[in-house]
Amino acid sequence: MNNIYLPHLMTIEDIYEEAPDVRTFSLAFKDRALADSFAFKTGQFGLYSAFGLGESTFCIASPPTRKHGIQCTFRKSGRVTGGLAGLSIGDTMGFRGPYGNWFPLDEWKGKDIVFIAGGIGLPPVRSVIWNVLDRRDEFGKITIVYGAKTVADLVYKSELALWDERGDVTLVQTVDPGGESPDWKGKIGFVPTVLEEAAPSPVNAVAVTCGPPIMIKFVIKALGKLGFADEAIYTTLENKMKCGVGKCGRCNVGDVYICKEGPVYTAAEIKKMYDDF
Amino acid sequence: MTDLFLKTEDLGRLIASVRDGGARFIAPSTDARQTAFKEVSGADEVVSDYILATNSYKEFLFPQTEVISTHKVMKDSVELKGVELEAQGTVIFGARPCEAASLAALGAVFTWDFVDEFYTKREADTVVIAVACTRGDDACFCTTVGLSPDATAGVDVMFKEADGGWAVARLTDKGSTFVEKHKDVFEKTACAPKPLFYPEKIKGVDVEKIKERLSNKGHYEDPVWPELARKCIGCGACTFTCPTCHCFDIIDEGTAYEGERRKNWDACQFDHFTLHASGHNPRDTQYKRWRNRFMCKFKFYPDKFSSKGCVGCGRCIRVCPVRLDITEVMEEMSKLP
Repeated sequence: MNNIYLPHLMTIEDIYEEAPDVRTFSLAFKDRALADSFAFKTGQFGLYSAFGLGESTFCIASPPTRKHGIQCTFRKSGRVTGGLAGLSIGDTMGFRGPYGNWFPLDEWKGKDIVFIAGGIGLPPVRSVIWNVLDRRDEFGKITIVYGAKTVADLVYKSELALWDERGDVTLVQTVDPGGESPDWKGKIGFVPTVLEEAAPSPVNAVAVTCGPPIMIKFVIKALGKLGFADEAIYTTLENKMKCGVGKCGRCNVGDVYICKEGPVYTAAEIKKMYDDF
Repeated sequence: MTDLFLKTEDLGRLIASVRDGGARFIAPSTDARQTAFKEVSGADEVVSDYILATNSYKEFLFPQTEVISTHKVMKDSVELKGVELEAQGTVIFGARPCEAASLAALGAVFTWDFVDEFYTKREADTVVIAVACTRGDDACFCTTVGLSPDATAGVDVMFKEADGGWAVARLTDKGSTFVEKHKDVFEKTACAPKPLFYPEKIKGVDVEKIKERLSNKGHYEDPVWPELARKCIGCGACTFTCPTCHCFDIIDEGTAYEGERRKNWDACQFDHFTLHASGHNPRDTQYKRWRNRFMCKFKFYPDKFSSKGCVGCGRCIRVCPVRLDITEVMEEMSKLP
């Protein structure tokens, strides 16, 4: 019997502390054949199991260009993520996926790309960033605007440093007012405002954004002001999901099932949806 | 073909014949002083003077709770086993044609792209015997959603009440096979069925028009929604009795070391249903959850699956503790410009 709800078993190979209560797991499939055949595209998501506690939905945070297993980044905030946070290197967890659609990187060849992320919204964008950087020659200018509530809440700090050091990436980091530390060298302000100040050119460019729903709304507005067409703005709508395969009925935004028709949409597509975010 | 007859006193023989073949016989029966679908072993347990069973028979195809996998967490690994469903033959007797029509909706959602075999395996092994309606009440509105007391969608064998028994019509191959298998209990005589009960079509309601009105995104924020849904207390009873509602949760039960994963019915009317881990909730007030359910029935389902999201059985009206009547909302929606 084909059981669409049965996860694959994965071993936690590495754990990185990203921010308070935020962790990244490097995961490897226990099944060797699956490890070799597994393929996904940047933007797709999966359901991760802490056995005995349940499943949670996160994006695949690593790029498909890095072949060894997958990574996920999550914040400990409930029953399942609490259980996952209690696991150690070498422990077993479950994964179902990849599900959903992806960012159309091949359509972006030759274009500038602006990445805008807030807080724990960076993991899905990070998959795209590394995918693009691993194919750096195919794209134009790369700008990354990333912000979090406080300096401590910025995730992937070591990778932010790597991107900052690169000559071929413009990185703008910001924290919300009051979230700065004495030695903070980045901007202070909300992501949409900082994005407007950074003013990346909309000419032959696409924008990719993810963050809290309220941030996404204002980022889309800011990008509009900068001259980005709605068709050139991409985001990923991470709604609450249980099945991931279009059955359990909770991720819909109006008539759109995020798990099957998304999670990646352009702002033009989002504006056609019912206001059900 | 309506050339067969089942005598009232032979229902017991049919039940015995089905059960001898290893299948379960589900029929309206008395449960906590209400008429509800449940497995019966003899004709004396079957209730015949009912309008509609309080529960939908969907629970025999899509159980309220079912184990989908089991796990054992050990020191160095996890032993995970998927459930191998051995579907049991099931005969649903006494379904009403309205709820039989809901199978198309359930089938659509459980098979688009990914196939949920927990549903399809059971459905494949189920024969639906509908009994056309000779009685109804003011909650019935099948005629308003394009169905009728002898609608055939989802029905394998149609029974129509007649003096001393039922006129029997085979509507599908599955139905023919079923009748063939139990042919000894049927008689080859034609008879005149009793007149059927046709609920009056609700004036001013047109489901096609409702679908159009709901397509207008301006109406999504119409003040009529919070007004109509004001009294909803979010109990979810409408969704649990609804034959087309299919939403479920996936949860783990057991100890930290050993347990099972279950699919449990869930409801879009519950406030935690769409709650994000961050605390953000796209449907943070009851009227938004109620609006979602109504739109799911009259807009999303018809558009997405070309199937009826509402079959007019009226269960949600009968069960609602605050008398929130879906047909009144249909009337209001039909009035929108």
